[in-house]
Amino acid sequence: MSAAIILARRDLLAVVRSRSQLYSSMLTPLLFLVFLGNGVSKGLEPSNLPAGNFTAYLVAGTVVMTSVFSSTFSSASYYRDRDSGLLRLLLSTPHAPRNLLLGKSLAALAIGTLQALIVLLVAAPFVDFEWQYGTLAGLGIALAAVVLTNLMLTGLAQALASRIQTMQGFHLLMNLALFPLLFFSGAFFPVDDLPAWLQALAYANPLTYAVDGLELATYAANGDGFMGLGIDFVVLGALAAGVYAVGLARVPKVTWSGE
Amino acid sequence: MPDPAIRASNVTRRYGNRLALDRLSLEVPQGAVFGLLGPNGSGKSTFIALVAAAEAPDSGELEVLGERPARPLLQRIGTVFQENTADPLMRVSEYLRFSGALFKVPRSHLQTRIPELLSRFGLGDRAADPVGQLSGGMRRRLEVARSLLHEPALLLLDEPTTGVDAEERSVLWRALLEGAPRPTVLLATNDLVEADAVCTRVAFLQAGRIVAEGTPAQLKAGLRRESIRIGWTAPEPAQLAQVASWHGVGDVAADDGTVVVTADDASTLIPRLFELAPGAIHSVAITPASLEDAYFQHVRRRSETPAK
Repeated sequence: MSAAIILARRDLLAVVRSRSQLYSSMLTPLLFLVFLGNGVSKGLEPSNLPAGNFTAYLVAGTVVMTSVFSSTFSSASYYRDRDSGLLRLLLSTPHAPRNLLLGKSLAALAIGTLQALIVLLVAAPFVDFEWQYGTLAGLGIALAAVVLTNLMLTGLAQALASRIQTMQGFHLLMNLALFPLLFFSGAFFPVDDLPAWLQALAYANPLTYAVDGLELATYAANGDGFMGLGIDFVVLGALAAGVYAVGLARVPKVTWSGE
Repeated sequence: MPDPAIRASNVTRRYGNRLALDRLSLEVPQGAVFGLLGPNGSGKSTFIALVAAAEAPDSGELEVLGERPARPLLQRIGTVFQENTADPLMRVSEYLRFSGALFKVPRSHLQTRIPELLSRFGLGDRAADPVGQLSGGMRRRLEVARSLLHEPALLLLDEPTTGVDAEERSVLWRALLEGAPRPTVLLATNDLVEADAVCTRVAFLQAGRIVAEGTPAQLKAGLRRESIRIGWTAPEPAQLAQVASWHGVGDVAADDGTVVVTADDASTLIPRLFELAPGAIHSVAITPASLEDAYFQHVRRRSETPAK
């Protein structure tokens, strides 16, 4: 069995065992969807949303938010392994360190994708999705968008975790970078009506393309006002490949004394 | 005669301006329990890191199990670090299965190997417990058991018993040395008593160089044979100087009412001590020279040698 698979299996088991992390990372977005979605739908008139339903609109953004949280939490495994000494054991095996990092990233990818899909599947029966490409094809497109988004985000988390010394520093940076990206991605409100400079920021934001792809797959009635699946997948795929390559390029420097 | 398990010739390793290993030459025979002894910063861990292919020498030749150290060679090497490496949330048997898989031990072999090692290291009834619930000594035993899973030809132990009490240490060594086939062991340690008890050969390291090497018996052979610990109330400097001048006396050290003297023959010395300080000496204890005495005499001798 390859080292990457052994590592991935071990990390998956660790997450399954850490139930509080597992439940809270799925429950938080669902609560977000129920309370914010219903509250805003009732309190405001989202007349410029195609379906006029803010809860349905929020699903795509919430799925992306789940991926963001999941990739951030996945880095905890990196720091835990470093602090418990396990990383040093891994680096004393005959395997190339890059394979070991790949294993950890695969586990994070699997967990993030699963959690995001659970949020989508739990929400789907309660909101009015259009499924313009058909339900199965729509789910397939959503799955592809979720996988690429998680690939990009876990690659980013991996790249940052191997460069930032403390977990606190890592979380600070991830929050600082990812929350603004979430806000200007169309996850919570449409970006079309924003001032031009904010729209420019939104189009430079990788998460915008993730939200766009998911909305096209599930919520949108047609392609009007969206960027299009082709652009979404090209941008997400290119960024995922690039960030992953950067993330795996740097092998953690663990000295014999463990510093 | 078989090739040595480790052969180092003029190995040098620098970290910036600091010279960690200075043209170190060494041979570790196959099957030996070879002790690398030295103070902190003497180069023990650096040498182990080179052997384990974690770092490369700046110059010199290093051969491990007949090959230049490289990552694939780690398949034949077991490593125990100074700190534990087990994830405390994993169960004991799960940690061993995980480690065994990383060293490509077939699952069917692990099914018999894991219980055998756990039993040998006194952990047979803890297989299902989380690692975090084991005591410090048990975790060290688990680390050594883990390092043997893939039946390595060479075992690298970097201060494996730091913080472990004497009884636990004895259990660990007994379990490690009783197995067959026994790997060649390279042990880096500060613990001279432990090295004296388990090592078949020992090298003293100081400032990245070997200052003495041999079997513990060989290293002790050139020493004053006995160490005399004297309870002596207020010894005067002139009295201590006089003792040091006597034939057959080596070192004389006084500390807080106790004087330690190394000598060739304590039986001839003790009556003279009572004559020198009547009424001031209230106890005398004689111990044979230990590896610790050898270490201090070799290391001090080198420290006191003027630089050329």
